[in-house]
Amino acid sequence: MTTEAALPGDDPGRLLSNTRELAQRVRKDQRATWFPLLVFAVLTFASIPVRRYSGHHLDCLAVPRVCTVYSDAEFVYWPIALVLAYVAIAAFYIRRSRARGVGTRVLPYAIAGIIIAVALTGVALWEVHNPPVHPLGLNGLAYQLARPEAAIGLALLVLAWAERNRALLLLTLAYLAVVLMPFTFGWVQPSPPWYFYPAVFQGSVLLLGGIGFAVAQRPLWSPAS
Amino acid sequence: MTGHPANGLDDTVHQRVRLGILTIAREAGRVEFSYLRDNLELTAGNLSQHLGVLESAGLITIEKGYAGKRARTWVTLTKAGQAALAEEVAQLKLLISQIERSGTSLG
Repeated sequence: MTTEAALPGDDPGRLLSNTRELAQRVRKDQRATWFPLLVFAVLTFASIPVRRYSGHHLDCLAVPRVCTVYSDAEFVYWPIALVLAYVAIAAFYIRRSRARGVGTRVLPYAIAGIIIAVALTGVALWEVHNPPVHPLGLNGLAYQLARPEAAIGLALLVLAWAERNRALLLLTLAYLAVVLMPFTFGWVQPSPPWYFYPAVFQGSVLLLGGIGFAVAQRPLWSPAS
Repeated sequence: MTGHPANGLDDTVHQRVRLGILTIAREAGRVEFSYLRDNLELTAGNLSQHLGVLESAGLITIEKGYAGKRARTWVTLTKAGQAALAEEVAQLKLLISQIERSGTSLG
């Protein structure tokens, strides 16, 4: 067999560069980054009417004077939507992996996403009855993190690690900065009619990111899909 | 055996196609025969021969099954395969650095 002989392609430098190229190719073939981003963009936009048309509660502490506004519907909508989204994303990746004949790294992401979503929902429920005394301190940052939008961002960090995707890491950091913007700029909750602005902004970041990745990954996924 | 890195190269792994198979299997976790054939630009017979060598050495496992009505062959890297691949890459890097150093001292 000719391949057993010392071919020019067997020189150490060429072997190493060939190895790197193959590893890159497999990583690119495994990625479908656009899909979770578009799913979460849809969920974020769909949360606007849920928030707008559901009843709200106002809980206040006497001393110090701190109030929390929350909607029961959001506590139902987000956990269910997030768990279903992760199941759909895992199913999509696995189906695609079978069609292409290359394994997928989606399971750590889906499992981490569900755990983060459930844990942060629990923290958010606790915080409803224990609002932050200083909304702009470290306590306030924890308050901002215990939100479904932050749960999406934290899980996307896991996907960036699993896919070894630097572009996704940068997008996720930008998204988390947008999610934590109320903390950064010193306002906690916009009042009507501006309540939907953060969701529009956050959903747009995910949508644009999803479209960007879809365009970038299109030549790789279109032939097999 | 001298300390020269070329002596640390395993003949089973130190081969372009087999190194490619191990690399793809490590990145993919589990990879299908047709994916290997297409990406390494081999004929089915040639790929089967290389897979046979790697399987005999205990570096990969081969699993046959069906996806619907289509017969599929899946390749997975074993722990020995992961170790052999890591060792090969380390030896190649060492070899390259030695070549570069000797080139510098000659120049």
